[in-house]
Amino acid sequence: MEEEAASGLPCCAHCGAAMEASLGRYCCHGCETAAAIISGAGLDRYYTEREALPPRPGAPVQGWSSVLPERLPDGHCSLRLQIDGMTCASCVWVTEKVLQATDGVEEAQVSYGTGRATLRWDPQRIDLEKIAARISALGYRPRPLEAAPTWDRALLLRLGVATFAAMNTMMLAISVYLGWWEGMDPRYSALFRWIQLLLATPVALWAAGPFFAAAAQGLRHRLLHMDLPVSLGIAVLYGHGVVATLLGEDAYLDSLTMLVALLLMGRVLEQRGRTQAAAAAASLAAVLPSVVRRVTPDGVENIAAEKLAVGDEIVVASGEEVGADGVVMRGEGSLRMALVTGESAPVRVVAGDRVVAGAALLEGNLRLRVDAVAAESLVSRMAKGLLQAGDRPVEPTLPDRVAPWFTAATLLVSTLTFTGWYLTGGLEPALRATVAVLVVACPCALALAAPLASAAGLGAAARRGVLLRSGDVLRRLAEVKEVALDKTGTLTGEELEVEEASDADLRIAAALERESIHPVARALVGEAMRRGIPLAEALKVQEVAGEGISGIIGGKRWVLGRGERGGELSLHADGEIPRRLRLKDRLRPDAAPTVAALKARGLRVVMLSGDHHDVAMQIGKAAGVDEVVAELRPEGKAAWLRGRPTLFVGDGLNDGPALRAAAVGIAMAKGAASSLMIADGVVVTEALGPLLAGLRAAEYSRAAVRGNLRRSLVYNLCAVAAAAAGLVNPLVAALLMPLSSGLVIWGAARIERQLVKESEG
Amino acid sequence: MNAIVFLLPIALVLGAIFAFLFLKAVRAGQFDDLDDPPTRMLKD
Repeated sequence: MEEEAASGLPCCAHCGAAMEASLGRYCCHGCETAAAIISGAGLDRYYTEREALPPRPGAPVQGWSSVLPERLPDGHCSLRLQIDGMTCASCVWVTEKVLQATDGVEEAQVSYGTGRATLRWDPQRIDLEKIAARISALGYRPRPLEAAPTWDRALLLRLGVATFAAMNTMMLAISVYLGWWEGMDPRYSALFRWIQLLLATPVALWAAGPFFAAAAQGLRHRLLHMDLPVSLGIAVLYGHGVVATLLGEDAYLDSLTMLVALLLMGRVLEQRGRTQAAAAAASLAAVLPSVVRRVTPDGVENIAAEKLAVGDEIVVASGEEVGADGVVMRGEGSLRMALVTGESAPVRVVAGDRVVAGAALLEGNLRLRVDAVAAESLVSRMAKGLLQAGDRPVEPTLPDRVAPWFTAATLLVSTLTFTGWYLTGGLEPALRATVAVLVVACPCALALAAPLASAAGLGAAARRGVLLRSGDVLRRLAEVKEVALDKTGTLTGEELEVEEASDADLRIAAALERESIHPVARALVGEAMRRGIPLAEALKVQEVAGEGISGIIGGKRWVLGRGERGGELSLHADGEIPRRLRLKDRLRPDAAPTVAALKARGLRVVMLSGDHHDVAMQIGKAAGVDEVVAELRPEGKAAWLRGRPTLFVGDGLNDGPALRAAAVGIAMAKGAASSLMIADGVVVTEALGPLLAGLRAAEYSRAAVRGNLRRSLVYNLCAVAAAAAGLVNPLVAALLMPLSSGLVIWGAARIERQLVKESEG
Repeated sequence: MNAIVFLLPIALVLGAIFAFLFLKAVRAGQFDDLDDPPTRMLKD
């Protein structure tokens, strides 16, 4: 377990950071604690089996006292948590085992796929705060999960019943059809037909309910969509089935049950994709109710931000988020307001300045007088405004647009068939042929075409890291001609990068920030590790109000504080000239390749930014975009996007209007909660590459819908012609219908294969 | 062939029992998360 870095220096036994030998086995206190917890639970195996190094543990997240778990009848508490930062299977394993070994925790399950934990504990023996602290001590970040949107179980029940009936009617129907040639005792065929009717009745009257309901609703709104001809077909099939069974004739009940089962399958798949996307967006968006530190006559107390009153005073330390809007009373510092305003450069504030909730204090120390409580803060008003704007109207799908014509054509052909046969052959053959026309015209394949292609496209996109909210988004995405990327948080990550610092300065700065985890500290420590500078030992590290962080390294007292300009840090020892370190935004590693790939696909790539023109140009050039539009206010971005066939990708709260105005708006995972809630989709990984996969999935999905539409129209045309000619009987229908549906399923299944082939070739 | 008169109802009843078990499983939430359980065994 004693590893050595490439530089020949020892590594921290927990997080693997290079460090000086004098520190011992662990680089920081956090790693030592994490290792103690892991071996305490008898999980040393973790260190030999892990495939990825864990994050460096940070301070526990506060605010758990305001989270209300579910109370179970036996007195236990239960809660679902989202745990961020778990990167490999071993992370999940160790987290789950540590939780299970925690005294008072009755049950703990951590999902590998989603990072969600389900916990049950005894409130007499442990509280949520302690459980959360244990997870944080391992280096992972827990947060409470909003109730996940559950999907409609009733639909699955209907599918189950319809499938059961379909299999059994088919089995009986095959016997009856074989009887045509082999001969069959009429008593048995009657028995078989009655049982078929018995099985088909719940299918037609209950399982097919959603189609009738949708068709009725469409009629009420004077919309003819796909559910209308489908309902018509089901009604005719069942009505004919009842009459035929009474008369002792063959019916189409096997086709009926099969049709309903297939259509329900399409619905279930479509819904699964949608719920998964919604659940993922909700879990990404859930934010911890923030805790603030209120100044009281006896000192400082932690309370939930919602409990603040106007006029209260709160303190904010470096690395923390501002919990409420207010005016700075004392102290100074630099704030990063990227999520609120989109400006990436830190803003310097001093006494008398106004600050808003949601801004992160990079360094410094502030004492604020609250002037707007949580519900009225700028951030929540912006979020509320966005959410109230409602959903955008859903455009009808291609099959839905065909549906009215289709219905009209079906009715016309069946009328002609009836008239033709009635004039030539009398009532009975006329009825027989008309029913056959209505049966084969029932557009099962047509109705399956869109949901199946959507479900396959959404699934393929989700597996590649971009979750889209619905098939409608997928359709709009296929029409996109241009991609507009926000700068801060989209082309650049939330990480900062050291732009200018000497090795000697970096060694000292990293040592001072060794125990912290805010972006500045991560940038300094990360750069030091990259350059192979070992983490030195700093003694008596402490935050000094108004100055920064100080500590003793090599016998000298060093102070790392804010520099003269934004993005600058100053480092000085007693009696020495201050040295400067400069930080800047870091372009995401895959930003330039993704932009190049988008351009190669014939899309125009534009960067939108609220930043100053020069700063924006620099990043834009590095990313290789076609055009840079800088100094845009949030409304400016929305106005620029309105009416253009553009995919907009953004992250901040201020990007909300733009996400909504764009033809398609996709948010980055680390973005503001409100933008995740209104966006059409979310990129779940810290990368831009998934956008490409999303665009491709949309394209293939559109091609699949069109192909399916063509195939099923051709099928319907041929089948209707045959039926009108009197060539279709229940056996022919039973063979044709699965054939056409199979073609449609094949068309949808090709989407994933095409994507796989493309990424291989 | 007369056996079919008994066998058919028996088959249907057996099928109905499985359909009922399926309903119970859906109601108990066994189909709510299909992605995670397959990976659980790998962790032990």
